[in-house]
Amino acid sequence: MTAAPALSVEGLTKRYPGVTALDGMSLEVRPREVVGLVGENGAGKSTLLKTLVGLVRPDAGTIRVRGEPVALRGVAHAASVGIGMVFQEQSLVPNITVAENILLGAEQTCVRTGIYRWRELRALAQAQLDKIGCTVSPSARTDTLTFAQRQMVEVAKVLTIEERTSHEPVILLDEPTSVLESDEIATLFTQIERLRQRASVVFVSHRLDEVLQVSDRVYVLRNGRVVAEANPRTVGAADLHHLLIGREVDGSHYHDDAQKPCDGAPVRVRVEGLTTGGCRGVDLEIRAGEVLGVAGVQGSGREEVCRALFGATRALRGRVTLDGRPLRLGSPRAAVRAGIGYVPAERRTDGIVPPMSVAENLSLSHVDRVCRGPLLQPRRERRLVDRWVQRLGIKTPSPSTPIGTLSGGNQQKVVLARWMLCDDLKLLILDHPTRGLDVGAKSDVYALIRELAAAGCAVLLLSDTLEEMIALSHRVVVMKDGEVVTTIDTPPGAKPDPVVILEEMV
Amino acid sequence: MTVDTTTDAVARDRLGALTARARDELVRFLPLLIIAVLLVALSLRNPDLLTVDSLLTMADSAAPLLVLAAGATVVILCGGIDLSIGALASFASVLLALWTPALSGWAAVPVIAVTAVAGVLQGWVHVAARVPSFIVTLGGLSLWTGLALALSGAKTVPITDLSAFAWAFTRVRGLPSAILVALALVAVISAVMRLTPFGRWVCSIGHAESAARLAGLPVDRVKIAAFGISGAAAGLAGLLLVARTFSGAPTLGDSLLLPAVAAVVVGGTAITGGHGGLGKTVMGAFVVVLLRVGLSLIGVDAGVEPILYGALIVIAVSVTIDRSKVAVMK
Repeated sequence: MTAAPALSVEGLTKRYPGVTALDGMSLEVRPREVVGLVGENGAGKSTLLKTLVGLVRPDAGTIRVRGEPVALRGVAHAASVGIGMVFQEQSLVPNITVAENILLGAEQTCVRTGIYRWRELRALAQAQLDKIGCTVSPSARTDTLTFAQRQMVEVAKVLTIEERTSHEPVILLDEPTSVLESDEIATLFTQIERLRQRASVVFVSHRLDEVLQVSDRVYVLRNGRVVAEANPRTVGAADLHHLLIGREVDGSHYHDDAQKPCDGAPVRVRVEGLTTGGCRGVDLEIRAGEVLGVAGVQGSGREEVCRALFGATRALRGRVTLDGRPLRLGSPRAAVRAGIGYVPAERRTDGIVPPMSVAENLSLSHVDRVCRGPLLQPRRERRLVDRWVQRLGIKTPSPSTPIGTLSGGNQQKVVLARWMLCDDLKLLILDHPTRGLDVGAKSDVYALIRELAAAGCAVLLLSDTLEEMIALSHRVVVMKDGEVVTTIDTPPGAKPDPVVILEEMV
Repeated sequence: MTVDTTTDAVARDRLGALTARARDELVRFLPLLIIAVLLVALSLRNPDLLTVDSLLTMADSAAPLLVLAAGATVVILCGGIDLSIGALASFASVLLALWTPALSGWAAVPVIAVTAVAGVLQGWVHVAARVPSFIVTLGGLSLWTGLALALSGAKTVPITDLSAFAWAFTRVRGLPSAILVALALVAVISAVMRLTPFGRWVCSIGHAESAARLAGLPVDRVKIAAFGISGAAAGLAGLLLVARTFSGAPTLGDSLLLPAVAAVVVGGTAITGGHGGLGKTVMGAFVVVLLRVGLSLIGVDAGVEPILYGALIVIAVSVTIDRSKVAVMK
């Protein structure tokens, strides 16, 4: 009989409007164990971690700490039971010293009658830094440190929870390696080995080889559930990747037979030397009816390319022609007028106006279609919207329902219909068009993308999963560190293995 | 234990949804409720209040306030604020008084054009320099006040041509013409908001500026236009003030800023933008005027009014604000 796990969750569920982020997730973290969590975007990693530090309240399920059920109320409460998190986006206050940051909110003996006792504060902070052998001075200003140093300070800060509980803590590391250089990653891994002597660690990363290297056990998450538990000593990165993307879907899910070849078609979009703050010298060509995927890890600059093409980010240099005519990169309005559409990744903040009606959201970009002169034609709008609601199977009580109350899939269909209203849509930019959608809604969106391509529209696609991108695209361009590194053909009937592209990405 | 936390969570969610809906309903009917309570309370105190004549007098005195509030509504629906409207109205009154000797009644046209351009200018600075509208119009408030003081020599400028603006201070079939002018302005702005895409552009920007921009809406131009409308309305309010006092003065409209903003937010338009409309503002203006009359009826000194407006604005905003849009309150 082993001791109770340091931390366990059972049947954890969290639903957001239109999205199920956690769908009955169960897993456990044993004492002094490093547990790896892997999953694609939307698999539920972030929501799980936020639940574990009390930032998100689950709709159902139990969290147990050393066997005892707890209802976490916030970061401070989580810390008091021994759970601490090193945040991906870092949570240190930049303009105060390292010592102040480490003891922020846990000053206790360092404050007497409301006044800082600096010597005590520095000594306590030093003790925390010593725990992980960090050489940063406690009196250094936080914004003078490198990112990696700040991360070490965060780890030291999290370890202050040891003083608040008599048990060994559980430390959650959310994507700690995403912005580190390789030698810094090595330092971090040494730290994790040290932490293992006094705590349990949960390690979340996109990089499968790192997870395998550092973890004792790995949980694979997909669609808010644990789909596999893997032993790093017996599985490789490729196995893990296959577990990650899953194989439960077949060709009909992606409407494979609706993909038409586009070899002889004329080039609709030509991008030459596009340079922004995040990408350099990008050349692209998209033919009429072609779906071009752009693959790349975070920081590869692929989002930048999309936003610059649409005029949402300033392009420093570069020429874009649309059907042979030069396109002035400037504002989204100019892009829309030139026949470009854009489906943003953050649907709720960038894609829709939640309190406004389905009809208003649908006709937002091409409102001239429902106007005569300067005047809106409500009846014409009603007919047009009814037609699109029917054609795309949008489930809404009525066209005047606020779009924010629909499910994510139906919201996304409205956003797609918004661009399909344009008689002469030349280029549609899809930035993670299926993010947060359920399987059925994804399949519907795939069908619409096929339909648009078949009608001769050029499509630029960014995707959360490589499998989806390969299935939908005719070609995939791989970007790395802001530049195009290679192009891989993914024609109908001869789709390459995702691993081929994955190797180019990292 | 597990079951308990689950049902707890569900119950909490239901309660949350219920209170949210109750709050929405409250916001919708609160102005009506306040008006009803005020009318009853005031008429109990003074039965003469509910006569047609006294109501019309109240409406007449409310006209400049309503005109200012109507213009400000458009800016607030965009998610901005225009603090310069009172100062612009004063500025307009001075220009009007100075130009009437030469242009007679036609002076109204260039004056309203000037205040419209002033509004457009503020909107343009807000958009182009990416400065919060709060700051741009706070600066504007001082700028227009200063110009009005300089042009008038810091004195009241009387108008001798008494017939020039008689049309704005008379009765048409027994109704005060000022309130007709104000309601006409409300009707025109409402029509533009409802019948053309402009209204939904304004609300889209107020609700979700980022989504509006990425849908290709002319976000900057709409915002500038909103400030232009607000400026033009301030000019018209200045004219109504001049018609009433037969003079222009560099501080004539200053005291109207707070009641005008109070009218907008008490009506139920969210200070965060998106939610609201002109109809709500008319109700809000009615509430503000009733309160003002009510206070004087029960013998409270007029000097106490600013306390009332201050409290009213804070309370109304705390009820109507959309907190989901403001990550950190500053």
